[in-house]
Amino acid sequence: MKSRSDAVGVVLLLVALLLLPLVLPVWVTGTAVYATIYAIAAIGLSLLMGLAGQVSLGHAAFFAVGAYTQGILVTRTAVPGLLAALIAVALAMLAALLVGLPLLRLRGHYLALATLGLGIILTVVAIETPFLGATSGIFGIDKPEFGGRRYDSPAEYLWLLTPVVILAIVGARNLVQSRVGRALGAVNDSEVAAETLGVDTFRLRLQVFVLSAGYAGVAGVFFAHWLAVVNPNSANFALSVEFLLMAVLGGLGTVWGAVVGGFGVEFLDEGLREVVPLVVPGATGEVQLIGFGIVLTLVMIFLPGGLHQAFRALTARRAPTEATEEPAAPDPGEGPLLAREGRPEPGTVLLSVRGLTKHYGGVTAVDGVDLDVAAGEIVALIGPNGAGKTTCFNMVSGVVEPSAGTVEVAGTRIDGRKPHVFAAARATRTFQNLQVFGSATVLGNVMVGRHLRSRVGLLRSMLGFAARREEREIVAAAREVIDLVGLTADADRPAADLPFGRQRLMEVARALAVEPDLLLLDEPMAGLSGAERRDLARLLRRLRAGGMGIVLVEHDVEAVLALADRVAVLDDGVRIALGTPQEIRDDPAVVAAYLGVDDDDPEAEQAVQALAEVTHDER
Amino acid sequence: MSDFLQFVVAGLSAGAVYALVAMGFVAIFSVSGVINLAQGEFAAIAGLSALSFTDAGVPLPVAMLLALLVVAVVAVLMQRLAIAPVRRMTTLVSIILTLGVSTALKALLLLIYGPQGRGLAPLPGSDLVIGGVSVRAQELWILGITAVVAVAVAVFYDRTVLGKALRACAEQPVAARLVGISPKAAATVAFAVAGLLGAVAGVLASPIQLTQWDSGLLLGLKGFVAATLGGLVSIRGAVLGGLVLGVLESLTAGYVDSGYRDAVAFVLLIVVLVARPGGVFGRHAEARV
Repeated sequence: MKSRSDAVGVVLLLVALLLLPLVLPVWVTGTAVYATIYAIAAIGLSLLMGLAGQVSLGHAAFFAVGAYTQGILVTRTAVPGLLAALIAVALAMLAALLVGLPLLRLRGHYLALATLGLGIILTVVAIETPFLGATSGIFGIDKPEFGGRRYDSPAEYLWLLTPVVILAIVGARNLVQSRVGRALGAVNDSEVAAETLGVDTFRLRLQVFVLSAGYAGVAGVFFAHWLAVVNPNSANFALSVEFLLMAVLGGLGTVWGAVVGGFGVEFLDEGLREVVPLVVPGATGEVQLIGFGIVLTLVMIFLPGGLHQAFRALTARRAPTEATEEPAAPDPGEGPLLAREGRPEPGTVLLSVRGLTKHYGGVTAVDGVDLDVAAGEIVALIGPNGAGKTTCFNMVSGVVEPSAGTVEVAGTRIDGRKPHVFAAARATRTFQNLQVFGSATVLGNVMVGRHLRSRVGLLRSMLGFAARREEREIVAAAREVIDLVGLTADADRPAADLPFGRQRLMEVARALAVEPDLLLLDEPMAGLSGAERRDLARLLRRLRAGGMGIVLVEHDVEAVLALADRVAVLDDGVRIALGTPQEIRDDPAVVAAYLGVDDDDPEAEQAVQALAEVTHDER
Repeated sequence: MSDFLQFVVAGLSAGAVYALVAMGFVAIFSVSGVINLAQGEFAAIAGLSALSFTDAGVPLPVAMLLALLVVAVVAVLMQRLAIAPVRRMTTLVSIILTLGVSTALKALLLLIYGPQGRGLAPLPGSDLVIGGVSVRAQELWILGITAVVAVAVAVFYDRTVLGKALRACAEQPVAARLVGISPKAAATVAFAVAGLLGAVAGVLASPIQLTQWDSGLLLGLKGFVAATLGGLVSIRGAVLGGLVLGVLESLTAGYVDSGYRDAVAFVLLIVVLVARPGGVFGRHAEARV
């Protein structure tokens, strides 16, 4: 845990859970036991929704797997309670793994519907299966015993739960603030950008989903011991909605919100069961659903960020983050930059593209493009609007699947693979349409770029202290590349507040944080001032001197001809020329391609002028 | 063989009901990108309110029409009160929001009608036996009315100005606004259409499957599965998806175990999504950036 408010929260919760049972009426303590148990499940669901951007509408299913397993093991076998609990939680996680493995690969929200279906099916299976006790379920589950002590009063059970819920909170908070949490936060802002920095979205989402099922399983274990009975109701729809409401009411992805939501909803549940039958005579069954449905709807309409949002609005102090007028001058040196041990020698082919083709319906956007890029050279890709430059980048970086052709990076075929495979081959890119992680600072954005250069996983992230040293290294490395592009003064500002041009520079820094051998830049000069352009050009030359291979898509033909070692020209998806800047200047086909486009296109006119002027000067 | 045909006939009539619900999902999703989890509740409200009307002495056909009207009003109110005020509507938000609405509607039905299930009187007609296969009159009504409704909906979207405008709204919201189609009006019409479709499913299915406060939950889920089989944006795909799901369920219940009937939809959903994310009958959608 990093922040002081977390520590304050833990102490307050600890005091409340330990002392309040001594003074509160027994029924309140009893409800607090349920609230604490459900809050554990709600924390897991909140992580799933906040971090993985996915929702489970049948989270009670995993709760039920945990509860049933625990019930069966302790009533019918000699397995000790603690071991039974481990098995129960593992089974809940296994269930999530089996559901998530096929479904989390897909874009969209099929997991939501599949989990809803899972909850329904588990209820049906539980009712129909004699082994699971059919409608009466598993009963006779004893209260747990530890150290010769039986925890059977509400107060004692709450004390037993206290360390568990605290650990659940601390682990979740650590995870949110860790390398994994940062990567998933980035995915929620821009999946494609996070993946080109090496984040394997599917893998991380699956891990978080399995973890959230584990939380539900833990809750199920404690539920089984407390109620002494597990029946099909523990998988039912009403409980899933209750978990969802807890997470949504507290604020998605906010761990503390889920705890507050857990207590709020559980007391709402108790209250509604009392009040609704008084208002509507003869009401029986799941009457509390009326309140759940209405509150859930109202929160989504009026307070989509949950109580967390309301809390932030109340306590926010407006600390204006003033724009720095001029960016601090970037590192003024001239020597090679970001060379690394083990990088291929200059001249070694890093990227090899053969016959790259993309059809959209009947339109061929890119047609049989060949291109090689070596370490230590800058290759520019130019051409009129719509020539297919960005589509080429998208196919090379795995953002778009090619219709035909091959892409090799450092000798490995990667065409058709996802962007994180491209990044794993030490290659990354920036975007023409900026893909800024809007919910993070500049530093936070660039730190995501260190994803592949660090390795703390989910479990060590949750432990917190195990990840601390690596976090410090990530921050130091991120600040280093921020300095290189001249954004030192902006490092701690929210990235979304930056002017357009500096967001572009930030994307360059983010890409450099990956320590790539091959860097693809899609119009890095657009929106930059004259001074910033010169600084960026100098930076690129120094990176080249360090042995990096760089591919540039750029509209500013003048800048490109001055910077690049070789230039490839695309027109209508076809590579019409490839050569040194001098050869390209002298190539009549290139001028014709630019002249052939719409006369009103100012960029084309500039390009023709640039070609002509340079040619003229040299004669 | 006659067993097999019998299962297929029963499956087709159940599938026709799923098809109606599935078309409701498509009607809303294709216009506003909202996955409406209250779609099944539209059917439950229709069944139960039609029962209220017949209890009050209203003739069956009139009661059914009144129920359609009630649900259309509920659907439009839902759009206006719960969907329209949300400024940043993502699919995730729409799922949670409409789950809230559907939960509230379910609970309201529970408070009004209690937990017992009841069935509407079947539509008139005598049951048939063709080649050893018996077909109930209600099943013929279901198949016939679903066929008429499906054709009407398809014609509405493909041939009428209003239907084309709705599609335009989904594909080109800015352009649609420029030529004078308001997305707000389009969303309202979409919800009304979806409400009517769900209501038709509800009044037709009630005599066979009984209606109770939470029958919308399973019906809605299966309707969604059927719509997904069709790619979620195709009316024809939704109809086909519903029929296939109904027949597979019926065959599973007949040849394997009736307890597994409700598992079919779920398994089918996973298999289809993994094999063909664009839907079996839908166009293959391409991810673009």
